[in-house]
Amino acid sequence: MTDNTDPLLVADRLVKNFPGVRALDGASLTLEAGSVHALLGENGAGKSTLIKIITGLYRPDGGSLTVAGGEVVLRSAGDAVRAGIAVVHQERNLIHEFSVAENITLRRTPSQRGLVDRKAMHANAQRCLDLLGLDLDLDAPVKGLSVAQTQLVEIAKALSTESRVLLLDEPTSALTLAEADRLFEIVGRLRDQGKAILLVSHKLEEVFAICDTVTVLRDGTSVLEAAPLAEHSTDEVISLMVGRSHAAQRFAPRPVPADGAPALEIDRVSTASGHRDISLQVRRGEIVGLYGLVGAGRTELAKALLGLDRVVSGEIRVNGDTVHVKDVRQALNTYRIGYVPENRKEEGLFLDQSLTMNIAVTVWERIRRALGYVPRRRERDLAVDYTQRLGIRSSGPDQLAGNLSGGNQQKVSLAKWLAAETEILIIDEPTVGIDIRTKGAFHQLIWQLAADGLAILLITSDLPEMVTLADRIMVMRDFQIAGAVANDHEYERVSRAVIGLIHGREPAGPVVE
Amino acid sequence: MTAPATDRGEITASDGARSAPRLRWNAGTAQRLGLIVVIAGLVVAFGSARTAFYDQQLTMFPLLRDIAVLTVVGLAQMAVLSIGHMNLAVGRMAAFSAMFMGLAYQDWHLPLYPGLAIGLLAGAAIGGLTGWIIAVTGVNSFVVTLAMDFALLGLVSLVYAQTTTVAAFTTNPAGMDGLRTYSLADVCVGQVCGSPAVPQLLLFTVLAMLIVGYLYSRTRIGRELLLVGSNIKAAQLSGIPAMRRVVGAHALSGTLAALAGFMLAVAGGSFTATIGSEFMIPSFLGPVLGGTLLTGGVVSVIGTLLGTTLTQVIRQGLTLLGIGLESLNIYLGVILLVALSANRIRAVLSERRAVTPR
Repeated sequence: MTDNTDPLLVADRLVKNFPGVRALDGASLTLEAGSVHALLGENGAGKSTLIKIITGLYRPDGGSLTVAGGEVVLRSAGDAVRAGIAVVHQERNLIHEFSVAENITLRRTPSQRGLVDRKAMHANAQRCLDLLGLDLDLDAPVKGLSVAQTQLVEIAKALSTESRVLLLDEPTSALTLAEADRLFEIVGRLRDQGKAILLVSHKLEEVFAICDTVTVLRDGTSVLEAAPLAEHSTDEVISLMVGRSHAAQRFAPRPVPADGAPALEIDRVSTASGHRDISLQVRRGEIVGLYGLVGAGRTELAKALLGLDRVVSGEIRVNGDTVHVKDVRQALNTYRIGYVPENRKEEGLFLDQSLTMNIAVTVWERIRRALGYVPRRRERDLAVDYTQRLGIRSSGPDQLAGNLSGGNQQKVSLAKWLAAETEILIIDEPTVGIDIRTKGAFHQLIWQLAADGLAILLITSDLPEMVTLADRIMVMRDFQIAGAVANDHEYERVSRAVIGLIHGREPAGPVVE
Repeated sequence: MTAPATDRGEITASDGARSAPRLRWNAGTAQRLGLIVVIAGLVVAFGSARTAFYDQQLTMFPLLRDIAVLTVVGLAQMAVLSIGHMNLAVGRMAAFSAMFMGLAYQDWHLPLYPGLAIGLLAGAAIGGLTGWIIAVTGVNSFVVTLAMDFALLGLVSLVYAQTTTVAAFTTNPAGMDGLRTYSLADVCVGQVCGSPAVPQLLLFTVLAMLIVGYLYSRTRIGRELLLVGSNIKAAQLSGIPAMRRVVGAHALSGTLAALAGFMLAVAGGSFTATIGSEFMIPSFLGPVLGGTLLTGGVVSVIGTLLGTTLTQVIRQGLTLLGIGLESLNIYLGVILLVALSANRIRAVLSERRAVTPR
């Protein structure tokens, strides 16, 4: 049906808009049969949006998709599967109680008159495992398998639909080195069978080890497209990912009291959710960045500070005193810790309530009088005051939070903690989904808060933002601190050091312990 | 009379899309003004069709007494609607509390108001327990209150069977008959406090409305209840003790249900096992017609009074026009459906507003 020389999949100048942001702005990708292609880019460069378009989860606002020479419109994940595109997501999607065979053939369980045809099912599953050169008990339940084995079952499942294009999203994030080698051996085998494989990975070593060609995304655009990897060095690729246009916004030097006592100290803390020996300190007037990949345990650490996770060992000190935070209320009222959550719509705001309600929620405890009476004038004035101070654009304190733009919503989510006069502020991914101009204003604001003496713990996956704002950058990996990088705001040097730590390499940049 | 309700819902939303704050306040007020207009129109219409509708003792007095009781029932439902929950056991909680009051009067020989206090405590306790179960197990309030409804039905029947012979307590405290039959004209001198059409029982309703209104519009706890209804996750992360608020909302619901049970017993003349069995549907009608959102976060006390008044005026008027009980229930069912759809349309539109970039 196709000319054999056509690429198996071509994404041409894809555009995708979300409210307030352009996630993809002319991203292109070409996958050839019989080759392994790498898709690289920093957090937020548009990799996941691109993958979601290729797998039919999002529809592009512009550009086209061509599969084996014919243009296609993918309306659902099912469409993508029918077009021969399969994806293995970072998260496991297997049904634990089902057997290996049942899981592999899940998308297309063979049946006769409505009953599962077990014989055909076994044959299909065995065929998929053979493609991978795997030997697994087909009747064993998936819950008994190792992480690496479930990963391979995922791949077998992806192959069961006779897909010719296979997308692997961070396939080795949970694997040991030996297991990863095994996986890549299998990837090589699939390539030799003529499949087109797309590998998304943060680990540059493995990309260089097994990929033939590479596409680099930055700010939603392909800055390097389908280039033979052999012609590029690691440093060149990192430079392309990072980009020179991103010269970090420079703020006037801000005095950080170097000898001041820390406002927040985390001392060899381990938690029930899996953190091990986390130590870090934030002084008054200092912005400490917490960088890491999604799933590195940064938000979970913030929640542990709020008493939402159990601290198993180690201690947390606030202004020198050991504390055991029971809940958010206590963190707020007793220890003056505030948390601006990552997901403002779900965790930060009351969309169907007024700005006054959204901002005053943290101060009612303080301004209430007898019988729980809250003076309306007082809370309104407070809301108006912070609306003006943060430059929140609204029609007044009665406006519903849900009607504000993303940037203004984020400011409201921050305003309540400022109104509460917190001294320690944890800010989680402050500028996700916010357009570039508002972002700059927001950075200014955070910077000013630190200058005013707040101790700020900044969690962000946006490296330029981190380099712009943080005084020190702590890098987290697998619920541990991988290292610390002093930020001299020299973007390339700092980002190299940070990326090095993430990739588990000995950092070559300015590293402090 | 059903069309205006839908229209109002749409106006609310489309106005809000342009500039929410002032118009939203207006929309809430407009909805209540609309209810007043509809009620007034119906009263005039029924009155001109049947002059008996204006009869103070035979029509107005019982009508206002029903409104008095059912408004409190509506407030009981509104208390849990404020946090986005529902209380399907609202009637059975009234029966449970009325049972305690009956016992207090018959077996413990307590006077009127101490007996009422015991009933209110019983209501608060059973409501609080329900809220606690919901908060701890995380099971949907629908399921828990439905189960509670069954459990209480069994318990109440059992106790009445053991302690009474006719499924009703026979001893009534002094002053109860007065409460039942007296209007404002009976209890005060001269013509200062008005009309023989206004039952004394209405004072309980006014008191309940004042307290609940103060709670939601003026206090910290009331605001926190609304925020728990708006977004419980954000409420927790803002330092609101969400579990305590859930328990509190259900305890308040139980207390108000108990008050309604007391009022119905007074109005009917005795504490019986069947008290509250007719509460469930009116409990939703009043608040929802009055602008309280089923999804939580928005309540209206005045709206609950107006919504209840509207349904009772329709019921009373249609009865006078000679329409049978069965068709009456069809009409009320249709009204509820329309009111709930308006609610849903509003919610969908406000969601759409929330995600549309401006």
